[in-house]
Amino acid sequence: MRGEISSRLWNRRELLAGGAIGLFGAAATAAPSAKVAVARCAAYDAGVLAALRTMFDQIGGIGPLAAGKTVAVKINMSGPVRARTGYRPAWYTHWSHPAVIGAAVHLIGEAGASRIRIVESSSYDDHPLEENFLLGGWEPDDLLKAARNVEMENTSFLGKGKRYSQLKVPGGGLIYPAFDVNHSYVDCDVLVSIAKLKEHCNTGVSLSLKNMVGAAPGAVYGDAAGYDAPALRPFGALTMFHTGSRQPPEGTPAEKDPNSPREYGHRVPRITVDIVRSRPIDLAIIDGIETQTAMETAAEQPAKGPVRMVRPGILVAGRNPVCTDAVAMAIMGFDPMADRGAAPFETSDSTLRLAEEAGIGSRDTRTIEVAGVTIREARFPFRA
Amino acid sequence: MAELIPFRWPAEWKDVSKLDLLRGTPINCLAGETAPPFTSADFPFVKLDPEHPPKGVTLREGVWPRVAPATKKEGAPAGPTGDAWVDSNAWVVRLAHLMEPGTTVWLTEQAPGGNEVTSMDSFVKPIAEAEAFGAHWVIALDRIFREELEQSSEAAVRSWRRMMSTLKFFAGRRDWRSWEPVAALAIVSSFEGDGKLMSEEFLNLAPRRHLAYRAIRLADGPATSFEGMKAVLYLEPEPPQGEMRTKLFDFARGGGLVIAPKGTVTGSAVERKAEHGLWPVGNGRVAMPLGGWDDPFLLVAQVHLLLGHRDDVVRVWNAGSTDTYFVASKTDRKALVHLIPYADGSTQPITLGFREPYRSARIIRLDAEKVVKSSKGPLGMEIPVGEVADYAAVLLEL
Repeated sequence: MRGEISSRLWNRRELLAGGAIGLFGAAATAAPSAKVAVARCAAYDAGVLAALRTMFDQIGGIGPLAAGKTVAVKINMSGPVRARTGYRPAWYTHWSHPAVIGAAVHLIGEAGASRIRIVESSSYDDHPLEENFLLGGWEPDDLLKAARNVEMENTSFLGKGKRYSQLKVPGGGLIYPAFDVNHSYVDCDVLVSIAKLKEHCNTGVSLSLKNMVGAAPGAVYGDAAGYDAPALRPFGALTMFHTGSRQPPEGTPAEKDPNSPREYGHRVPRITVDIVRSRPIDLAIIDGIETQTAMETAAEQPAKGPVRMVRPGILVAGRNPVCTDAVAMAIMGFDPMADRGAAPFETSDSTLRLAEEAGIGSRDTRTIEVAGVTIREARFPFRA
Repeated sequence: MAELIPFRWPAEWKDVSKLDLLRGTPINCLAGETAPPFTSADFPFVKLDPEHPPKGVTLREGVWPRVAPATKKEGAPAGPTGDAWVDSNAWVVRLAHLMEPGTTVWLTEQAPGGNEVTSMDSFVKPIAEAEAFGAHWVIALDRIFREELEQSSEAAVRSWRRMMSTLKFFAGRRDWRSWEPVAALAIVSSFEGDGKLMSEEFLNLAPRRHLAYRAIRLADGPATSFEGMKAVLYLEPEPPQGEMRTKLFDFARGGGLVIAPKGTVTGSAVERKAEHGLWPVGNGRVAMPLGGWDDPFLLVAQVHLLLGHRDDVVRVWNAGSTDTYFVASKTDRKALVHLIPYADGSTQPITLGFREPYRSARIIRLDAEKVVKSSKGPLGMEIPVGEVADYAAVLLEL
């Protein structure tokens, strides 16, 4: 049996592999829905704290979530730390802005968190994360002093840990059954994903779900990873995720099916879902105050369309990352129910659909209660 | 006597009339291993003999400045962790000036040759690179360039004119050569003996990270001021002794960071960072490697982390394989960042960042210059430089 999906031919084995979670729209289990807050915020100033405070109240408060807990805050600092889109610092184009991170950290601290660790994996170095803030052009002390007991860790390698921690995907996963990660993702009681409101040249959008791909350590899954063991230091892209070019180092869980499609648009959305299922996101925050259209990293990847620096002037937050991403997508002018072939998923499967089918959350905005500004009011079409 | 600006006279050119090419240019001497079959009062011949260099000149072989290209089907050479490998003469010139002060360095590299075709446009780069560091490239044409020039092809004439205007550009700015490196890190080494390879490679690789340094000869160390330095790297295989040790420990007691080989201090480290142990000394610290100093690439990274990016004297974005060389005038409040890109074509739009509140910035290119407005960034001022091909400088005034 051969079937044609999108622009490539798939053989029976691939179809069976893809169909395991309903590639053809098999009945999905009812995915939960949770309230999402949307706020207007014109600039990275004191207004961010006020807006986030209101939004957290609107989604039920974060006190019960954070009080007495160790909270990991996964930010987005993807790509080379010295890269900018033109002259615009990456905080304004494709990274989570420190004003948003700082406000979130402050409120999490205020809610009683016992420890807050800001985490991100750098693909290109084993620097302390503080040093990468400096390289990006920001003073890390601003964030380290935003609450009590705040620390940072570059999770692209062992970091301050002695060994990698393993996160198993419940039910076995779509691509990987488990991941070896920096200790920070296991040490934490609560995981917050702070993403940028942005498109992605290969996965359509990169929001709170996709942000978690950056939890994977480059020393294990990056181009510099050894075959016998993880590299001591990360370097290079996560090509084994992107194209399935090879398996992880010996001792790290391998793919379930090395004969599954080697295509980026098939693999990365599924790996994203696997990662999020292995370590669920407890709070999703999307920074859409300033961003750019068209692609994630201007210096590195070809654009699907013109790159524009834009100011949607919005923040989105919710307890369920799929619901939060769906609302964000709708604000960007995309249909969160869209699938491969329709914008923005011209070349990939929809991470949101796969996440919904995996039971993480609903992407149907008709079932998602939106607090604050409505989607219609906040709408900022990225491809207008 | 005017400073000598050398041109490697092609052995194929027997006719004295070919000298017309050089008239009206900054070139004023011919160079090579063998003299041309004529003499000229206007263009004296200088023999390139490393054993007997011309008076006042230090000869260095050098490399063709560029990002090293692929030599195998699998891909291009790379640094130890995957960055493109850059063939640069920056360290060669800076070290030669340090070891043989008062001389002018001549770099004698030639285009790669073999079956590799070198774009005529790329002959500006070795001139700009050498001149930016206060040296001269012994200009040498390859066969294709020479033949095209003989036929007066438009491309060859255009490239030749750009080369000559590059020489004129730097000849008009000779004062820049006396400006001194701006850095937070001093490197003290003999640059000889068992530590020669490590210390030379450190100088070669530090610019890849935009880690600015000031190199000091070990013999000069005790008498050299460390004022303005945040850290001193004592880059020798064995711990410092005598006056040098006293000087380094004085620097640490005053609040500085001394990075030195194993055995410099004893006892247990109070902190670990970047694969080094740290010992408090007065108001400062001494750092020693937990293992050894085996890999210059790693040592550069470790030293940079020990120093910390907060003390970067210049911050650089979108520069790709571009070197920055930050110097300042000794007599007035001017400073300059040379930007030397090693890849072909233009860079992305480069931004430079500084902690110092320079009140004006001028972007100086080989063919134009303009004043640019700085903007305030979270870590100081930022200057939009623009895309850079071949060379640019940013002139700053406090």
